[in-house]
Amino acid sequence: MGLMARQTQSEGGRAVVTEPVVAAGESAEPPRAAPVGSSRLSPLRWLLTLSALAAAAVLVLLICLQFGAERIGLAEEIRIVSLAVRDGQAGLDSTGATGVILMQVRLPRVLLAFMVGGCLAAVGVGLQALLRNPLADPYVLGISSGAALGAGLAILFGLTGTALAFSALPLCAMAGGLLSVLVVYRIATAYGYLPIHTLLLAGVILNAIFSALVMFVTSIMEPNRSFGMMSWLMGTLTAPDYPAMLVLAGYLLAGLLVLFRQAASLNLLTLGEESARALGVEVEAVKKTVFFTSALLTGAVVSVSGMIGFVGMVIPHAMRLLTGADHRLLLPASALMGGLYLMAADTIARTLLAPTEIPVGVVTALAGGPFFIYLLTSRKGRLA
Amino acid sequence: MALKRRQQGILTGMPFMANLASRTFVDDLGRKLYLAKPPIRVVSLAPSMTEILYSLGLDEEIVGVTDYCDYPPQARAKPKVGYSNPNLESIVALRPDLVLAPSTFLRADVLAKLEQLKIPTFILEAKAIEEIPSHVQTIGRMMDRAPAGDRVATEMRRQIAAIRTKVGERPRLRVLYVLNSQPLITVGPGSFIHQMIELAGGVNVAGRALVPYPRLSLEEVLREDPEVLIFPVGGAESVPESEQQQWRRWTTLSAVKHQRFHQIAADLLNRPGPRIAQGLEALARIIHPEAFDQRSGP
Repeated sequence: MGLMARQTQSEGGRAVVTEPVVAAGESAEPPRAAPVGSSRLSPLRWLLTLSALAAAAVLVLLICLQFGAERIGLAEEIRIVSLAVRDGQAGLDSTGATGVILMQVRLPRVLLAFMVGGCLAAVGVGLQALLRNPLADPYVLGISSGAALGAGLAILFGLTGTALAFSALPLCAMAGGLLSVLVVYRIATAYGYLPIHTLLLAGVILNAIFSALVMFVTSIMEPNRSFGMMSWLMGTLTAPDYPAMLVLAGYLLAGLLVLFRQAASLNLLTLGEESARALGVEVEAVKKTVFFTSALLTGAVVSVSGMIGFVGMVIPHAMRLLTGADHRLLLPASALMGGLYLMAADTIARTLLAPTEIPVGVVTALAGGPFFIYLLTSRKGRLA
Repeated sequence: MALKRRQQGILTGMPFMANLASRTFVDDLGRKLYLAKPPIRVVSLAPSMTEILYSLGLDEEIVGVTDYCDYPPQARAKPKVGYSNPNLESIVALRPDLVLAPSTFLRADVLAKLEQLKIPTFILEAKAIEEIPSHVQTIGRMMDRAPAGDRVATEMRRQIAAIRTKVGERPRLRVLYVLNSQPLITVGPGSFIHQMIELAGGVNVAGRALVPYPRLSLEEVLREDPEVLIFPVGGAESVPESEQQQWRRWTTLSAVKHQRFHQIAADLLNRPGPRIAQGLEALARIIHPEAFDQRSGP
């Protein structure tokens, strides 16, 4: 990683324009040295950075797979995987409980952590760029709590059905996330366009309302249901079986690609809306796309992981320092890093007090918080 | 503990003091409570206590219960005062001369307020199943129903002892008690049900957990390989059928191989009251069906 940090320092282009919330409307900031359009990002650097991150992610995945209720060494790991690949289910059965633990419990969970972390980080990047606010992330804007409310209602009424290859819980969570975004959108477009600060405030207020409703739903549940619900609210990765994982992965990937395609527009948006419009960006369309994609991604993610804060806020900032503020690199790099971070955090959550698990949301905050404060105070990381 | 059939009455908590019938009682927090005369307006803050009061033949005297007090059926008709967050005003409005409360759900501020209002509050916390018959006797003496309390307690002790004798020598089976599947929450050491499982001839696979209600990792479950899965059903705590079926995915588990999925009435297990012996028997019948004759269980 040190190598990459050195590489990017020579680039210099950094510090996305982030204004603290002020009561005034659109303050047209003078364009700073923010990367614009197509310059400054050589394809080689893009490729190198992402390859390095992908390699690191694979390495972390292999390390995380070794830890859990029982330690499984690397050699054993490879032996089981090769058996499973070669002989399928029969090969897996021959390895006994260890094989089942590795291939059907641990691997899905680590992969899920990667997917969830990646999505939260990418969505965080998108929202921060869109709102030009360093605090924006799906958690703060009420999208997560909207999704949690949907999921909570599904649990409360014991909904168990499937539609479109998704079971009731993720569907309700997505509906909740969408509802939250729709409401924010409606509030903010009362003037016919989307003022950024109104959007942010509406999101924060909605977050408070939805959180209160989630608390209410939890309080009227039967004791052991509310037990599960509380636990889930603190962040718990529940990996479905492989076919469902595949559906989820396809869905998330599609959403991420939609986000990635907005990268160039997001670069211009960081200059301020007026400038972006002048440069030919369909500002309202971009906002809508990023906003609703974020909601749909967050809903799906929340349904399998509960409320995991911090990843969506911290990872984008950390990556901006590392890769610069060009969204064409920042978005995929943050996705990889977010995945990596959550894999590591979840492994700690699984093993620290084994056989008892602690909520992964606790770990992400405790591990990420101090680091974030360090970033804020170090001279290198003037974030806002 | 195998009790021969002796005369009842010897089994009172303090036989040598039975005729003195002291009116001072000490609760499980060590707080002393002096009752000049038997209370006639009692508020119960736990389903188990409500059941104890009814088992002593009381009914008129019970003036307030929790939202979850549903046994015996006539308890449902009593005024409700909430549960984990009892409504202090409705308690006071019932003008109780005794409040029976569990330690688990009584918040310190509620207790302080009751003390401030001079409402006698008696706190019971059964850490072990053996303490429950004594609780019944204590409340019996408080309410001037000592003979009834002794009778109920004796019968409970007899039943518990009988179950212990039945399963005592049998090989113990590994048990997983599923409170909630996703995330998996079960019972650990320090919880009441953990103790019941061990008494009924089982070994709790979450025995190494650090907390009474741990979130157990699935990896640990597969490693410990439970032979019996138990799902609480009915009343306030129920694991739906669809959730139970999810467990069939784990084909390496002994419990899945041998189709050992069982349901148990949750209320019988998690209420430290007069029906606890029935709960223990139900549990023992699930874990060791071969130890019981084929009559239908409780």
